[in-house]
Amino acid sequence: MTTAAQVSGRPAKPPRSRALIAGIVAFVVITAISVSERFGIGLDIVELIGDLWRVQPILEQLVSPNWEFLPKVVDPMLETLQIAIIAAFIGCGIALPISFLASRTTVPNRPTLTITRGILSVVRAIPDFLYALIFVAAVGIGPLPGILALIFFNIGVVAKLLSETIDGVDPGPIEAADAGGSTRTQMVRWSVLPQVLPNYVAFSLYAFELNVRASTVLGFVGAGGIGFLLKVQYGFSLWSNVSVIIISLFVVVFFIEIVSIRLRRRLV
Amino acid sequence: MAMGTTTGRPEKPSNLKRNLWILGAAALFLWAAISVNVDITDLAALPSGLWAILTAMFPPEWSYLENAVPAMIESLQMAWVGTIIGAVLSLPLGFLGARNVSSPLVSNIMRQILNAIRAFPELILAIAIFIPIAGFGPVAGALAIGIHSAGTLGKLTAEAIEGIDEGPMEAARATGARGLQVQRWGVVPQVLPELVGFWLYRFEINIRAGAVLGVVGAGGIGFLLQQTITFTQWPKAGTTILVVIVATIIVDTISGTVRRRIIEGSEARTVAEVDLVAKAQIDGAGSA
Amino acid sequence: MITFDKATVTYPGGVHALKDLTLEIPDGEMLVIVGLSGAGKSTLIRAINGLVPLTGGDVVVNGVSVRDASSKQLRELRSHIGMIFQTFNLVKRTSVINNVLMGRLHETSTWRSLLGWYKPDDVEIAMRALERVDIVEKAYVRAANLSGGQQQRVGIARALAQEPDFLLADEPVASLDPPTSHVVMRDLQRINRELGITTIVNLHFLDLAKVYGERIIGLRDGELVYDGDGAQADEHVFRDIYGRSLTADDVMGQAEPEPAKISA
Repeated sequence: MTTAAQVSGRPAKPPRSRALIAGIVAFVVITAISVSERFGIGLDIVELIGDLWRVQPILEQLVSPNWEFLPKVVDPMLETLQIAIIAAFIGCGIALPISFLASRTTVPNRPTLTITRGILSVVRAIPDFLYALIFVAAVGIGPLPGILALIFFNIGVVAKLLSETIDGVDPGPIEAADAGGSTRTQMVRWSVLPQVLPNYVAFSLYAFELNVRASTVLGFVGAGGIGFLLKVQYGFSLWSNVSVIIISLFVVVFFIEIVSIRLRRRLV
Repeated sequence: MAMGTTTGRPEKPSNLKRNLWILGAAALFLWAAISVNVDITDLAALPSGLWAILTAMFPPEWSYLENAVPAMIESLQMAWVGTIIGAVLSLPLGFLGARNVSSPLVSNIMRQILNAIRAFPELILAIAIFIPIAGFGPVAGALAIGIHSAGTLGKLTAEAIEGIDEGPMEAARATGARGLQVQRWGVVPQVLPELVGFWLYRFEINIRAGAVLGVVGAGGIGFLLQQTITFTQWPKAGTTILVVIVATIIVDTISGTVRRRIIEGSEARTVAEVDLVAKAQIDGAGSA
Repeated sequence: MITFDKATVTYPGGVHALKDLTLEIPDGEMLVIVGLSGAGKSTLIRAINGLVPLTGGDVVVNGVSVRDASSKQLRELRSHIGMIFQTFNLVKRTSVINNVLMGRLHETSTWRSLLGWYKPDDVEIAMRALERVDIVEKAYVRAANLSGGQQQRVGIARALAQEPDFLLADEPVASLDPPTSHVVMRDLQRINRELGITTIVNLHFLDLAKVYGERIIGLRDGELVYDGDGAQADEHVFRDIYGRSLTADDVMGQAEPEPAKISA
């Protein structure tokens, strides 16, 4: 390669970017450590394949759902929806002003921005499950801690997504508002908000979907919804009942997704 | 446009549709708020309850780091391996699920399969399938995360592939390349940056999703969290929560930086790209 | 009246966008500014309403110093100065009338502006502004659905809705085709003559400058190098301003397609 290049004037092949090589090396090392027995989780694929049969008795029950159990699912499922709806409205509502505070576009003041983004990072770093645990400890079990937990969870998700969208808005109308002597609030209301409103609604619908999916986790720790019923049936190894719960959840999520996609399409 | 007045100015269009939607939403919220089984007076206990917890957590029991940190590392490794499993599985699934690369029929079926997989929260996958197979511990967790992620990532991959420019694919076919070669050279270069972005974002989510798995014995920090909080060992709980927050923020920051680098590194993109990435995150990256 | 008093703008990177500029713009004048890209045209215009801060000297508008103005005073000042942009800067997702009403925001209280409850008088002003640029029938149309020329007219209406004393136009026709450019320039000319609003326009195309500029000033490297009658500006003048010979890119090249409209 070298002689030919020197002779014919062709450029030499550029070396792979160093960052890329470093990235690949890091990736391989981390993965190797993570699957190892000593330092990681101990993933042994051969052993796993050998153990696949263990799931068979459960699978047999799972694929024959006990439909007589269905009526028992209705109330907890309604509770899941109630929790999801309330938390979505309140959480996404709070997230809207917060996202304006967390975006470079609407808050040029660096300290405020850093603080808001910092708080938002912490809020997002706490999984919904942990919020549920804390709120159950604070107010007792029931749907209330679930609602509170999901409110914080929604704020984290929606404020981050929305603030990133706000970061990317067309600055033209903002300049126009400034040039006309508008206040910051007026500028945000008329130059920024109309640009991000469809995104905001889409993100809120997404948050609602997440809330419904989160109900299994919440209920498990006593924060209301279908998860508690799941936990009980699982505790008694009544897999045919568990199957009914899973199917019901699937159906509900499926419908919500369809409605959500339709709604989002109308927004654009 | 209706000329309502003699001045030639148009009539103001009716806001009816929009107002109906708003009313519908308000009605939905009211139904939920009224019918949910919550005693609103319980809310009064909230501030004092939270305050009591917060004060009890500080100062944290630093010696508990010996327990919390290894558990968090286990959670991270679980999420890492799970994400890799999900990403690896999502590639063939995604290709099969893309209308323009496989066939309309096959892609449709595959999309439904992916939807079905996505519908199972990691928790259920863990308790019903992977703990029985792999026993308690992080392997079950990793597998549960992996299969669920495969569903979500598969859907995102399929959509990314469907969104590509057909040109390079056509060019590859014109040279007589075989199917897999067309995909390797015509498709992969275009979607790879986007896919890696999805994988990284999914990793961030999986760390959070994996937290709860410890509760059912599938490894990770969930077990410690539940133990310390349920038994009100607040100083220990404080330590554990701090570990979770710090570790998650570190990973989020690194992941975010890498993702941004990748987006900048690929072909010139417009500012609206933020929207697209976010939209992609919406359309599939559900957690829990 | 606008007075530039040794106005200087130096950007953080070290670029001297305006150097000791001294200039007087009497009320009611139609002033055209020409110069190469980077000569300082945009900076000059934006120094008038403070969108670009001065690093030296001052600009005084109707007796108010832009340099010393507090943010509240600056907003008050800007409410008397309407601005039109090369990229129109409309909010694409919302209606034309909502865009024009943004010109009334300074006169609207915070609460009303948050809810969008403009006073009927303000709506009337906005409608009349749209009528003046002959586009009122599109009042409830989404801004994104308009052509470039129509969007710019909405931009002009938005500026007019402020009932301004001054009109600043930063390359208002650079994104438009020749016939539409003439329509927009004629609108600006009409507004200047009928309403007596001081109009300052940055133009890229020298033939347009000659036709519409009552007075032309030329900038080169941030300095004022020409100041004279529009009618007397010819190729030599422009070559001097540009510091190089003129090319085809410097002229739009299409004469006015039809006689100017007379109606209001």
